[in-house]
Amino acid sequence: MGAIFELLFKYRPAVFEQGEFAFGAPVPVMIVVVLAAAVAVPALVTYFRVRGKSGPRDRAILTALRVAALLVLVACLFRPMLLLSEAVPRRNFIGVLLDDSRSMRIADRNGRSRADFVRDTLGAESKLLARLRERFQVRIFRFGASSARADSAGALAFEQRDTRLVDAVDGARQDLEAVPLSGIVVVTDGADNSMTPVNDALLALRARGVPVFTVGVGSERFSRDIEVQRVEAPRRLLKGGTLVADVIVRQSGFDGATVPLIVEDNGQIVARSDITLQKGSDASPVRVTARLSQPGPRLLTFRIPLQEREQVTENNAQQVLVEVRNDRAKILYIEGEPRYEVRFLRAAVQADSNLQVVLLQRTADGKFLRLNVDSGDELASGFPTTRTELYRYRGVILGNIEAAFFTHDQLAMLADFVSVRGGGLVQLGGRRAFSEGGYAGTPLADAMPVVVEGPAVPDSLTFFADMKPALTPAGLGHAVTQIGAGKVTAAEKWAALPPVTSVNRIKRIKPGAVVLVAGSVPSGGRAGSPGENMFRYEQPVVVYQRYGRGLAVAVPVQDDWQWKMGAEVAEDDASFDTFWRQMLRWVTSDTPTRVEARAMPDQVNPRTPIQLRAEVSDSAFEPVNSAKVSAVAIAPSGARQDVALDWSVDQDGEYGGTFTPSEEGVYRVRVTAATASGEVADTTFVRAAPLDAEYTMAEMRRPFLQRVADETGGRFYTPATVGTLPEDIAMTKRGVTVVSQKDLWDMPVIFLALVGLISAEWGYRKMRGLA
Amino acid sequence: MIAEARSLQASTRARRAHIRLAGLAAAALAAALAAPCVAQAQRGGRFPGGAMRSLGDPNSFYTPPDFHGNPPYDGRFTFARIKYRGFGRWSGREGPGWAHDYPDADVHFMKIVREVTAMRPFVAAGPIVGGAIVALDDPELFKYPVAYLSEPGGWFPNATEASALARYLRKGGFLIIDDFPAFDWNTMEAAMTRVLPDLRPVRMTGKEPIFDSFYKADINRVSSEYGMNQGFYAWYENNDPTKRLYAVACYNNDIGEAWQWSGRGFVSVDVSNEAFKLGINFLVYALTH
Repeated sequence: MGAIFELLFKYRPAVFEQGEFAFGAPVPVMIVVVLAAAVAVPALVTYFRVRGKSGPRDRAILTALRVAALLVLVACLFRPMLLLSEAVPRRNFIGVLLDDSRSMRIADRNGRSRADFVRDTLGAESKLLARLRERFQVRIFRFGASSARADSAGALAFEQRDTRLVDAVDGARQDLEAVPLSGIVVVTDGADNSMTPVNDALLALRARGVPVFTVGVGSERFSRDIEVQRVEAPRRLLKGGTLVADVIVRQSGFDGATVPLIVEDNGQIVARSDITLQKGSDASPVRVTARLSQPGPRLLTFRIPLQEREQVTENNAQQVLVEVRNDRAKILYIEGEPRYEVRFLRAAVQADSNLQVVLLQRTADGKFLRLNVDSGDELASGFPTTRTELYRYRGVILGNIEAAFFTHDQLAMLADFVSVRGGGLVQLGGRRAFSEGGYAGTPLADAMPVVVEGPAVPDSLTFFADMKPALTPAGLGHAVTQIGAGKVTAAEKWAALPPVTSVNRIKRIKPGAVVLVAGSVPSGGRAGSPGENMFRYEQPVVVYQRYGRGLAVAVPVQDDWQWKMGAEVAEDDASFDTFWRQMLRWVTSDTPTRVEARAMPDQVNPRTPIQLRAEVSDSAFEPVNSAKVSAVAIAPSGARQDVALDWSVDQDGEYGGTFTPSEEGVYRVRVTAATASGEVADTTFVRAAPLDAEYTMAEMRRPFLQRVADETGGRFYTPATVGTLPEDIAMTKRGVTVVSQKDLWDMPVIFLALVGLISAEWGYRKMRGLA
Repeated sequence: MIAEARSLQASTRARRAHIRLAGLAAAALAAALAAPCVAQAQRGGRFPGGAMRSLGDPNSFYTPPDFHGNPPYDGRFTFARIKYRGFGRWSGREGPGWAHDYPDADVHFMKIVREVTAMRPFVAAGPIVGGAIVALDDPELFKYPVAYLSEPGGWFPNATEASALARYLRKGGFLIIDDFPAFDWNTMEAAMTRVLPDLRPVRMTGKEPIFDSFYKADINRVSSEYGMNQGFYAWYENNDPTKRLYAVACYNNDIGEAWQWSGRGFVSVDVSNEAFKLGINFLVYALTH
């Protein structure tokens, strides 16, 4: 297409884009106009006088054709031209950045690698480089994790494990800032895995008027490949907990294929499931679960075994670092009535050394039974009355207890426990819970995932419904609902559980709430308030919502202990126990401590800087900006590296610092914050190892490269179009330039237009018999 | 009302006389009867011959005249009385041993529980009073994780019943065994051994948490109509007193009797108070541990 354009219009489209149109005729315009009129008017008059066999339509057409031909000629007399600012040969500089990363080794160009293109096209002997050097002083850089000057493409080894494209472009710009710079050429596949925001870098380039010419190497879509693109997994988990990870799998050429997805914990297989790759889908999410019982930092590998004839063999696995904590989540269970739920829930978690359920059981008005407390003082005055006291717990279970039991402040505290402290709240069903317990209009109502409305309901008017539980689509892969064992899936297990009953009518859930287990009235079941018989009724059995920093869960049934005790439940069935252990682990797994340490990213190539972040709060979980925060990074060899963390100013309570791991392996980073209310600490883990991030999304990223070029005033090229690069850069108006004139009157298209018009007139005459 | 009270008093006296006689008989025949009693249980009665058979089919369940069905299950705490087959420990108007003190003991106990604790148990709904009566092999039993068994002297569970009760207890159920004199110990122990062959009853000291779950109960203050040497025995998971308590037996004791007569003055306030305190402690403990 471009060649045809150039054949007809003499120049490439880029010339027309860059040039300014002008007329170069030396004769004054008025004279030309008069001459044109002198020619045109007699012609028109002649045409209109001649009658003969011609009609008015014939005369009009012939006149138009003749006038058009004359106008073309007159236009040519004006000497139309393009004025172009072209770089003065060899007075300007260009930076040529060559991608030296490992992804350039991928052979997706008819069996040849991307690196081959770079060597062939920009090697020391290449024509393109020679043409560039005819016009510019060329400075070659190679880039990957870092960038450096290079003599030619021959110096590239394509070994680097990171591509920091944006950093490299910015670095080259700074390097060439003192010289007249016409532009920067980037030859890459577009894989940028730096942490630098692209928008900021593009803004800087645009502000300095440096056009970036991007050359995209590689295919935009592999013909046959499976890639484990991303794994979303919690970074922390309680020992023995169920890890739920969302794995994004991309494929091309494997529509509908079933492949195994294997999860390994430090080399040991902990989960395996067969997944079917969706037809016509570029990327499909897969949810996998695995139980982790070994404490400490666990390196989990999610991999799909290499399939036949895959184009890229290095992108079938992703690794994530998960910290399995062996600490004890302390949970306060406040129960308003001695009832079976207490007995069975406590029994379910009793053997779990990572959960401590402290029971505050109201046995009579003003009389409480405390169980599992750490000291005689704990809860001695009943339910906590201060935030400091309540926030010692990571979770709260609200049993069958009416809202009126609490003061307004305590209810507000409970809501803050979820939203501010980030704790987990689980509310159980019962005659004194939810709407029936008078929670409508209380500060806690906002935190609940279900809508509570109306006044408290007396016992005699309590709603009642038999509920058969079933997993919802959201619940299928959720950490809480994974009660399956062996070959029995969670869905099958839930379907086999006995019905339960509810005395809490749930009419609506909150807009952001997610139902994990839904209940419906089974055949022959009852539902309705006294005097009412509902034939169909459904309500959530397990529903949750995020509320602020924490989680609020509602289990509005009164006897889920039937899942343990029911006659049809096998004696060794652990569904109920597993459900509650997972529930309590889940709601407390992300509960923040007073100092929360985090590394970004938590896996890097050796000698790559890592950002450390710490959020520090006081005992009421209010951010603290005056803490003295420091960290010590302990290398696998035991070497210690101190890191100072400073308040980030941007955000209350956030502190940041940087450290660079020098060894390979897992670093233990302990962050300590000294606050007015004492010293608090947290530990996080960082892994330094050669990573294969280069092969993630390794197809050529045309949209990204196109955007970089467009936003900086450059152009995007493929190997097929890169031949015009030297001329295009020359027209960028950057650096030392000279204005050149490009005549347009001799364009072949002008000649063709004249011949066409005259031929059309002649042909029309012949057709109408006027010749 | 007076006539009814007299009738009940006469019934109780007759029953106590029966107990004394039966006690003597049992003392003499204990060794001789120990072996065959299980086999006889399959036929529905401790005493061979026609005495029990004349009351009806020994493999059927007696229906107390005040029983009008079980309350529909609604999730509330409901007192569950275990019934067994036959007519063992028959006592005139009160029927076989398992039905002794029904329904007054059940109703009174649940009323006290409702008044004293934060529980809202089932007490009465129309003609249905006290709670539920369930057989050991009835799946409905699993809806009542706390159950009460009266007069185990007449209880001879068959294999199905023993297996069902074992499942019930191992899954989380809790059993209160009450109202049996010393001479019925062997029968009761044999039945429980049939249910939980690996477990042995452990005599309780009175310092166990169950005696301090709601009231601070002093087991030495509990008086028994059966005389001295009353006490409490427990069956623990793996015979380990630090583990879960499956069942408690009121040996040589009858707290149900005190519940029954608490409203009529035939039992002193102190006695009925202690009985209620024990019962409430049992419930609160069973519901929280």
